[in-house]
Amino acid sequence: MKRIDFHIHTIATAFDATFKFALSTLERYVSETKLNAIAITNHNTFDRAQFSEIVAALNAVVFPGIEVTLNCGHVLIVADVVHLDLFEEQAQQISKRITQPGDSITIDELREVFGNLADHLVIPHYDKKPAIRGKALERLADFVSCGEVDSAKKFIRAVKSDANVTPVLFSDVRICEALDQLPTRHTFVDCGDVTFAALKACMNDKSKVALSENEGNSLFQIFEDGQKLSTGLNVLLGERSTGKTFTLDKINESYEQVKYIRQFSLVQQDDAAYEREFSRDLQRTRSQFVANYLAGFKAVLDDVMAVDLRADERAVENYVGSLRESAEEADRRDAFSNTALFDAAEYPISDDQVLSDLIASVRQVIENVEYREVIERHVDIRSLKQLAVELIEHLWAKRMDSKKKSLVNGLVRDIKESLKRRTSAVQVQDVDLYRVMIHKRKVERFSEIVKRLQEEATISEEAIQGFRVVATKAPFAGAGEIKDASGVRTAFRDAFGEYRNPYAYLQELLANDALTRSELYKLFVKITYRILNRDGFEVSGGERSEFRLLQEIKDAQNYDILLIDEPESSFDNLFLRSDVNQIIREISTTMPVVVVTHNSTVGASIGADYLLYAKKTVEDGKVTYRLYSGHPTDLLLTSLDGRTISNHEITLNSLEAGAETYDHRRQGYEAIEDRR
Amino acid sequence: MKLLKTEDNQGHFLGESGAFTTVDRITKEDLLRLVELTLTEEVEFDEYDSEVVKNQAHQILYRSIYEKLRGLRERKQEFTDESERLYLQEYEKYREESSQQHAGQVSSEATQSAPPDEPSV
Repeated sequence: MKRIDFHIHTIATAFDATFKFALSTLERYVSETKLNAIAITNHNTFDRAQFSEIVAALNAVVFPGIEVTLNCGHVLIVADVVHLDLFEEQAQQISKRITQPGDSITIDELREVFGNLADHLVIPHYDKKPAIRGKALERLADFVSCGEVDSAKKFIRAVKSDANVTPVLFSDVRICEALDQLPTRHTFVDCGDVTFAALKACMNDKSKVALSENEGNSLFQIFEDGQKLSTGLNVLLGERSTGKTFTLDKINESYEQVKYIRQFSLVQQDDAAYEREFSRDLQRTRSQFVANYLAGFKAVLDDVMAVDLRADERAVENYVGSLRESAEEADRRDAFSNTALFDAAEYPISDDQVLSDLIASVRQVIENVEYREVIERHVDIRSLKQLAVELIEHLWAKRMDSKKKSLVNGLVRDIKESLKRRTSAVQVQDVDLYRVMIHKRKVERFSEIVKRLQEEATISEEAIQGFRVVATKAPFAGAGEIKDASGVRTAFRDAFGEYRNPYAYLQELLANDALTRSELYKLFVKITYRILNRDGFEVSGGERSEFRLLQEIKDAQNYDILLIDEPESSFDNLFLRSDVNQIIREISTTMPVVVVTHNSTVGASIGADYLLYAKKTVEDGKVTYRLYSGHPTDLLLTSLDGRTISNHEITLNSLEAGAETYDHRRQGYEAIEDRR
Repeated sequence: MKLLKTEDNQGHFLGESGAFTTVDRITKEDLLRLVELTLTEEVEFDEYDSEVVKNQAHQILYRSIYEKLRGLRERKQEFTDESERLYLQEYEKYREESSQQHAGQVSSEATQSAPPDEPSV
């Protein structure tokens, strides 16, 4: 197997954060990690002089490459050294086209520059941001050898998936002097000679790439010293203070997407504080649900906020008042106030929303492909098209009419203003009665919606691993509850006085400057969650911890690796054996999991894929921490420096407090066993 | 139903009691009531004619109100359509949920799914 890293940056381009390239670091990286081949892939640039310098300095095969910014994602292009002159020319063209952040080229332009891409290795970002997926990937498919991923989890996922893309895991490292940890993300390729052609052929074949040299995809490297982990379930054992938590912390630091469930983090300590934290936690994880559930209402509320019924009432009052006044002074009218335009009302401009919606609906029927057959059975698409055309013509005419009316309205306003300046007669103040009535209707509909919304009901029930999360809605029972929902320190007593009159309540909320308008939608209905156990009762303290663990583990699916430090610190053995073990086992089939434990129920029954043992020794007055590892069935576990330790002994010591205690206990159990 | 009529050189409107009142007595409440009727009922008005309404004050009042109401009557259908579609999706979503709850048949699937789209063509 050959170890390769085809994604390495050696130039701080305009697309990178600044760093200073150090050839010595690259030499150290290649030699210490025993890389057989690398590719230099800087953003949209290729520096031939630097490339030659690197080739001369390294004891590995180096290929020229470039990371190109496409409008649909990033792609690595790696070339054979025999095409170096041509590649340099092509890379120069890329540099000319993509000069600053924000620039990109299309797939067509890429093909224009590189001509026959088949001569090169084309490696799109596949399960790595910014990824090339869907149609764009299909367009490149003829040239794509493999796709880059950024974690062992994604590598395994791609290997197992039906998609015909071979995953490759590379470092994407910036080589600089201050590189603290050497990258561990590499791909092993099963090829004889390290030639461009051989590598390219292998990278087209899922069975020829792996995460480790000898263990296929079951192990992958986690630390720069070469320490490996299983891509499935790892159990880390060891006595107190031997570096177990330190190891988890180290993984947590060196990986980006880590879900880390720390020791005791789920256990119930202080009832009241826990209750609060638990509810907050639940509200947080469920807040998206609330936002979705109330999204429709929020849109309504945003619209109603713009309705000012009091202003409408004043406008009508002004109209009637000025009209009557003007009538009373009818005999005093002069040449200016007698003109037709003096009291002319403006043209109402109607909204074309109804018509626009109608056109969109008709178009939807015409353009729908999925139900085309059913639609054609009932309506003639040709006449539907004619309908759409006619409606669109109507819309055009309506818009044209509105434009003309707006123009006239502006003119009328100007003329009325000038006439008014020349006369003492009262001018009638116009009002748009249509709008006034629509506003009234809006408020009525809004009030109905709020009243329905406030009726008590269960709005969702979700089953999570034997528990049920029930969301219910109900009216707020007092000002205090509204305050809690708002999260703002302000008084709600006056507002609550109007709570049963939604529009008046809204006005009270709007008058309160301490509140954010976009958050007001949360203050109309109370949404609460209850968690019920298997028997349908509210959960107890212990069950709550269980529920949180299950939630945390479920959440882990969004990460690349899961670390759990002593789950036994929060739970009893029965729950560990029946649920926790099974769930951890399940999730470890999709991502690497590391469990630290002292508990035999976890350690011995969980069915680990890989065993690690942390040990502290004092040698010549110096404390050394060592990790031994191996498969659970191995008689000996081995450390990186070649030391071995008995698997049987450490397992019994860690999980059963030693062989003697285990024997004692076993005898004790036998003595009380009922053998009738 | 007739809302505005011209008689005896004066303009009249249909008062709340059902009897006609001279247009110079009109208040904003009366006006909103007439507007509501215009947008929801079959209504008629006597056309404005300065030869029939001789009273100058009534001319100003009657003409303005007549033109307003006539304009609204022309937009009655538009108003009905617009009113009916106001927040329709949300209205139906939350209404459906409550009525289901009343029937005691709430199921999480039904309440979480989007409300069925109203056929709009």
